[in-house]
Amino acid sequence: MFYLSYLRSELLRRKGRTILTMLGLALGVALVIVITSLSHGLDQAQKTALNPLSSIGTDLTVTAQEEGYGGGAFANRMLETNLASLGKAGQHFSYDTFSAGTQPSFAQSQANSVSSISGVAKIATGLTLTVTHQEGKIPKITASFRTGGQQINVSGQTKRPSAADLAKMAACLAKQEKKSSSSTKTTATTGGQSSQSGSLSGQGQDQGGPGMFGGGAAMRKCMPASMKRFQKTITTRRQTLRKQVNTPQTNIKTSTYTIGGVDTSQTDMGLITKTQVSKGRFLSKKNAREALVANSYASSHKLKVGSTLSIKKTTFRVVGLVQAPLGGQSADVYVPLKQLQTLAGQKNQINVVLVRASKSSGVGAVEKKIKSALPSAQVASNKSEADQISGSLVTASNLAKSLGLALSIIVIAMAIMLAALLTLSSVAKRVREIGTLRALGWSRRLVIRQITAESLTQGVIGGVVGVGIGIVAAAVINSFNLSLSASSKVGNSTTTGGFRGAFGATQSAAQTTTSQVALHAPLAGSIILIGFALAILGGLLAGAAGAFRAAQLRPADALRQVE
Amino acid sequence: MSTPLYELRGATRSFQMGNSTIKAVDDINVTIDKEELIALEGPSGSGKTTLLQLLGALDRPTSGQVFFEGRDLASLSDGELAELRLRSFGFIFQQFNLLSTLTALQNVEAGLAPLGVSAGELRERSLAMLAEVGLRDRAFHLPGQMSGGEQQRVAIARALLAEPHVVLADEPTGNLDTKSGADVIALLTDLAARHGTTIIVATHDAGLAARAPRRLTMKDGKLATDSKKTRAAAKKR
Repeated sequence: MFYLSYLRSELLRRKGRTILTMLGLALGVALVIVITSLSHGLDQAQKTALNPLSSIGTDLTVTAQEEGYGGGAFANRMLETNLASLGKAGQHFSYDTFSAGTQPSFAQSQANSVSSISGVAKIATGLTLTVTHQEGKIPKITASFRTGGQQINVSGQTKRPSAADLAKMAACLAKQEKKSSSSTKTTATTGGQSSQSGSLSGQGQDQGGPGMFGGGAAMRKCMPASMKRFQKTITTRRQTLRKQVNTPQTNIKTSTYTIGGVDTSQTDMGLITKTQVSKGRFLSKKNAREALVANSYASSHKLKVGSTLSIKKTTFRVVGLVQAPLGGQSADVYVPLKQLQTLAGQKNQINVVLVRASKSSGVGAVEKKIKSALPSAQVASNKSEADQISGSLVTASNLAKSLGLALSIIVIAMAIMLAALLTLSSVAKRVREIGTLRALGWSRRLVIRQITAESLTQGVIGGVVGVGIGIVAAAVINSFNLSLSASSKVGNSTTTGGFRGAFGATQSAAQTTTSQVALHAPLAGSIILIGFALAILGGLLAGAAGAFRAAQLRPADALRQVE
Repeated sequence: MSTPLYELRGATRSFQMGNSTIKAVDDINVTIDKEELIALEGPSGSGKTTLLQLLGALDRPTSGQVFFEGRDLASLSDGELAELRLRSFGFIFQQFNLLSTLTALQNVEAGLAPLGVSAGELRERSLAMLAEVGLRDRAFHLPGQMSGGEQQRVAIARALLAEPHVVLADEPTGNLDTKSGADVIALLTDLAARHGTTIIVATHDAGLAARAPRRLTMKDGKLATDSKKTRAAAKKR
């Protein structure tokens, strides 16, 4: 075909211009692809971050407030490790303690009252605890204190005896005195004293020998009934307390992580769901000793699928890695709920109820109903959780939202303008050529077709090159493993919560969890197609501009043009 | 009597130059019959090029009419004019006007491509035409790689490929040295004779003009002398 060989010759023999036009379009397309896919990636990242609850199939979470509701039996419990009880000094020890942090536990049965509320489609329960793991050698320096065995005298003022009582008592004592002719004066003195103050003393029945308080028997006998009642002796139990002194902190490591007990009866709703599994599989329903580990925790602790995890001397096998949701219900490690309840000694205890409303529009109503049914409960929704999230992700996403589109439009408009200008200048330089073609008998239509085909070809090649550059650029971005942070405040507690450090190391339970959200530039086929289409559109627009100029030329004028 | 090749009635082409109107071609009345060679003489700026463009349907007269083979060119559409240029007219320019990015062969092909003949036939005919102008071995050279004379011969091949009725040549030797110019003219007249084509050539070349059976001289856009009329007048006397 002559026209094709003409086109080919034209493009090849004007390489500089052709390459410039194509590169302009290619860069435009590549930039649009990168910008679009980046903002798409940001959107995705933000979606996971800003909808922490919906990602786990939940609309609302119900937790107990710090005091009340379920009783808060485990809230803010003081934990202390008796190191000496763990073994001999110098031995290696590993010890895990569980604490509830800011979410007190309550009985599992309480969840039923939530599920019976109308508008609630489904509930799941969960238990999120903080594990304090201590490991090291048992210190040698321990001290023992023997306590107990003390006698405690209780004395109290009783009702003053009446004159009749006293007279009666005196008569009785006189009678007793006569009976025991060899009695000592001490007894009489004691008796006199007691008549004055009513002071009662005793050392326990066994120890009260007649030799010491010989008159005790007479006194007891003659005392009025109202006074006898107060006679009491208390002896504390003997016990030995061991306590480490000057605890050597250096070789004992304390680390904390959060652990979630997952209701494994459901896979689409719970503290973690099947959709968050990024590697491996979800927990089986068999209440097995299996664990899921959050990606961030796995990478910092070098855990992978198949690794084992020891929690309170129980071995769990890591069956999957998960992308933990942001927000209050996230944890580092997930195990079946029953396993955790057993380990933590909290049988049938939970601290969160996840609620799914039957209609998404009914979430607000359900939230109100739960609040009025359980006034002491805290109800959180996606929105309230999302409001707590901040960080570079949110900033970047907002930026991408406001700038991405504008930037894309500017970039592609500039690319098209460049192509159009180059085509126009090419046409201007080819005016005589166009005139010649017209003189040779080329119709206007044919000339326009030829010029448009040229710039369309540049558009197609530019598009292919641009898509290539875009794909490579997106791959480069992905290979950098860029991450953005999203922070979420857990709970709304104002207190610093549970005291977990056995060695005086206190950590705040109301903390800010920061999650690194990986930034990807996902390349959707549609983005590539759009980029390609833009390049072709650019080529066509440029060609149309050139062709319009060419079509306006009268052949005679075109020929008159001096080069 | 058969219809004349051209008939011009008061053909005028004026250009607006600022406030003044310049009549490049001013009220020309002439009839041109098929003939081997017609020379169009006159000083630069006398309107030769504009007249050739009117004859070649590259331009339309501002007033008056140009009939080609009995058809008023003003009544034809752009498409019909393009068709006419393709089939009936061949152009040869002083600057050769070859397409610089195309080879000699492609340039020749460009003159016939819109006719829609097959690629094979187009190539065959173009190569044959190049052979006629003695440039078969230069078929794949670019214009920039050829001498002026060679380029003009390529242009001649291009103009004649479609077997036009008329070849309109505007100072074809103007950019050539004497030797090449003579070669080009010899070639042009030889081919025209062989293909039965009428050549209308605008020229300063007195030698070339002298060979033409009919000579038209222009001055300030008007037809000053017509050798045919002069002869007829002479005969009358």
